Amino acid sequence: MFKKFTLILVLSVLLISLVSAFGFAEKLTVIGPWAGAEQEGFMPVLKAFTEKTGIEVEYKVYRFEDLVTMLPAQFAAKKTPGDLIFMSGTEWMVKNAEHLADLSDMINEGEFVPGTLVSKVDGKLLAGTFTGKIKPGFWYSKSFFGKHGLTVPQTWDEFVTLLQKIKMVPGIEAPIASGDGTGWPLSDVTEHFLISFGGPALQEDLIAGNIKWESNIVKGIFEKLVFLLKSEYFSEPAEWTTILKQWEKGEYALYFMGSWITGMVDNPDDLGVFSLPGCEGMVFGPDYFNVPIYSENIEDAKKLAAFLAGKEGQTISASSGGHIATNLGVPVEVYPTVDRGVAELLKGVQSLPDLDDTVGGEFQPAFWDQLKLLWVKPDRLDDVLKVLDEKMP
Amino acid sequence: MHRKATFTHLAIFILPALLLICVFVFYPCLRTISLSFFSEGKFSLHNYYEVLKSRDTINLEGFSKGFPLGTLFHNLLWIIIHLPLTTFLGLTLAVYLKNVKGGSIIKSIIFLGMVMPMITGGVMIRFIFDKNIGIVNEFLKLFGFLPKAWTAYPETALFSLIFGSVWLWVGFSMILYSAGLETIPKDLYEAAQIDGASSMKMFFKITIPLLKPITIVIVTMTLLWELKIFDIVYVATMGGPGSASNVLALQMYTYAFKALNFGKSSVVAVFLTIITLAVSIPMARSAGEGR
Amino acid sequence: MKIKIYKKVIHDGLAWIVAFIWIIPFIGLLMAAIRPMDELLHGWWNLETLNLTFKNFIGAWNHSNVPLSQGTVNSLLIAVPATVIPVLIATMTGYGFSRYRFPTKRSIYILIILMLALPQQMIAVPIFGLINKLGLINNYFGLIIVHTAWGVPWITFFMRNFFSTLPVEVEEAAKIDGASDVRIFFNIALPIATPAIVSAVSLQFTMVWSDFFLALILMYSPEKLLATQRIPLMRGVYFVDWGLLSAASILLMLVPILVYTFFQKYYVKGMIGWSSK
Repeated sequence: MFKKFTLILVLSVLLISLVSAFGFAEKLTVIGPWAGAEQEGFMPVLKAFTEKTGIEVEYKVYRFEDLVTMLPAQFAAKKTPGDLIFMSGTEWMVKNAEHLADLSDMINEGEFVPGTLVSKVDGKLLAGTFTGKIKPGFWYSKSFFGKHGLTVPQTWDEFVTLLQKIKMVPGIEAPIASGDGTGWPLSDVTEHFLISFGGPALQEDLIAGNIKWESNIVKGIFEKLVFLLKSEYFSEPAEWTTILKQWEKGEYALYFMGSWITGMVDNPDDLGVFSLPGCEGMVFGPDYFNVPIYSENIEDAKKLAAFLAGKEGQTISASSGGHIATNLGVPVEVYPTVDRGVAELLKGVQSLPDLDDTVGGEFQPAFWDQLKLLWVKPDRLDDVLKVLDEKMP
Repeated sequence: MHRKATFTHLAIFILPALLLICVFVFYPCLRTISLSFFSEGKFSLHNYYEVLKSRDTINLEGFSKGFPLGTLFHNLLWIIIHLPLTTFLGLTLAVYLKNVKGGSIIKSIIFLGMVMPMITGGVMIRFIFDKNIGIVNEFLKLFGFLPKAWTAYPETALFSLIFGSVWLWVGFSMILYSAGLETIPKDLYEAAQIDGASSMKMFFKITIPLLKPITIVIVTMTLLWELKIFDIVYVATMGGPGSASNVLALQMYTYAFKALNFGKSSVVAVFLTIITLAVSIPMARSAGEGR
Repeated sequence: MKIKIYKKVIHDGLAWIVAFIWIIPFIGLLMAAIRPMDELLHGWWNLETLNLTFKNFIGAWNHSNVPLSQGTVNSLLIAVPATVIPVLIATMTGYGFSRYRFPTKRSIYILIILMLALPQQMIAVPIFGLINKLGLINNYFGLIIVHTAWGVPWITFFMRNFFSTLPVEVEEAAKIDGASDVRIFFNIALPIATPAIVSAVSLQFTMVWSDFFLALILMYSPEKLLATQRIPLMRGVYFVDWGLLSAASILLMLVPILVYTFFQKYYVKGMIGWSSK
């Protein structure tokens, strides 16, 4: 009896130590949030880097929320799980400035779309900018519009009329599909409304906490949203990939989504997109990456940083579709047709950061959660706005 | 006959466990308690005040406007609905299935809900109440009701979770009552039958009283489960929409690991523990009696 | 006579209907796992088109970022030691409480019983800090130690109750014959305690396998994630697929269901053991 137990004990301990010992390769580790099809678009970039420099790269998937929890502990122990980490939220970077390497010598500021490069902290460039995704507006099927004689609206009234017309088309469940990932894209639609009617400055003020959610100006904009919700122009929130399929089938006409949608549909050439009339800003979410100073291959990591931010890396990413370059040196021709249209949309409007991604913390899940509530209970607007103010840092 | 222990005895038999428990359970407990009393580096009751005042915990407006009512009330509701239902159903099923052909298979089927990880339990609940593919809606359609996304609306989200969890947990009380029923000597029933007692009378005068000890266990364990519920809510609704299905354990997690506010999260943990300790006293007493 | 038989048939029939009602959700889950999404969009109970496929199971097992194959291995790596070690330690402790007298015995025992009520939330934050200081965050060892420490109280309680039902005469006799206490424990008490140990093992294994909260706090490397952690990740990162999720859930459930099937008697006795004298 005794012997058997000790044997099992010893074996288990051995097993664990063996397994824990694994996982120490000498290549660069890149950490990013993309998985599945998204990841397929990113791997060619890494491969090109390896071909160019001979440095091997390994890619690991981590979600932002997990990174936020684990990185403080790792940094405190002067360790890092990756040599180059894609991280969201510029606030986070500022908070962790001491742990991040300065990339100023690897990245030339003049090359980028204004507003897309992270501001320097104490002269240090804490993060590089890769390609990004835009959340331009409502996507629709051109053939669907053509079939039912619908046109892109130029004013708010035309928009409402459009919704009325769509509602009457047979087979339509609701004019606008409401996707529910973990709360976005509801947050994306809401931000679009805020930007369109409050101007780009409103988005920035809300992020900075200069304006309250309960203020009249914000409330007024929400009331437009509530009006649409109460008129049942929006569907109930549903799993965003399931509802995407239903939208393709014609059960919904409009779908507010980010530019990555072009990579997700069967027929990207049929896609058209329009923003709310009068919209002068667009949420452009570039993917930021940084190099922690605890990386064991910091020089190689910096080279990768330069590659990713540079024209070469961004061109490869842009050509795979669904990504918009921040580097001005990327020619418009490399984009697939639909993305070209989206890239054009970006010109002439101000690029803005995503609100909930930037604020983060407890606010982000609360924001998503409250919007889910607002969508099914539009008359609770006052409560929702109150909670949003409570949860702002 | 208890032997007197020597130091070696203690070292071998008692010490390892004691060490583990002290370092990894007892000390963290004390630490949590102390964390709850510190706000911004100073000893204060500020955290307690904030948590109790917060609409996350108690939302009196919810009683007139609708969910959320606050985590304290959500857990309370869970108890009020789940406990009587599962206990009663468990007993009924245990009695009903007593001599059924293939009864053990049926009992195993009902017990399956207990065997699975609660994270899958949450997935199943989400699945059952889904608008398009959930059976609840399909069942209600038979009676002419329109399908509804039960977990997406604040007034029904919590209830879907609660009723779903009844389906999961009934197996527990049923199995324990089954075992309890076996321990009741048959002669008691025979004697009562000879005296002309009806089954109803026998049930209330013999069965139920004799099942008291096991009822205490069932009630205690169920209460503890209802108070500590986490996995199901995390995966099915994440406490939403609008915190309408938030529970104490999830609130604690959000404060600690999303807001990084350890003071407040410790307060919630302390509340939770006070309630669970209070609930466990009857069972601990009866366990202590059998020495 | 006939009425009695009719009564029995109806009684049993209703019982089976109840069982059927209870198992419907599982059937639904199975359907979602083996049929393509389009067929499910408007109800899995529609059996007009029935294209069975194991694609979802393979997809879940070999998922590009959270493969269950890896998750299962990880979960086993945690569950086996986190079952064996606490059962070993706590059995000895339970024996110790049941056979020996020593000062402060009563208070320590009461303390242990109180720990049975503790929610994991009570230790979550400090345990994260403690394991972090020990450098064991995201390390299997860390999670195993916590599960072990967490399991010891209830197993001690359970085994102590069991041992208190064993007559001491055999042990007393061995003592008179000159056997050491340790010897008595391993050669006499332990073999008799085998059924109780099997019960404890079944329950502890299932509990560790099913754990989500502790794993959520202490493990985050994608390759080290346990099977339970991978389920929520399969829903709502970027792609959600009820088929995939269902298949993954079924795979996750298989292990504890197997344990229950093979060790049912002990499993149940283990749960009832809570109420033993």
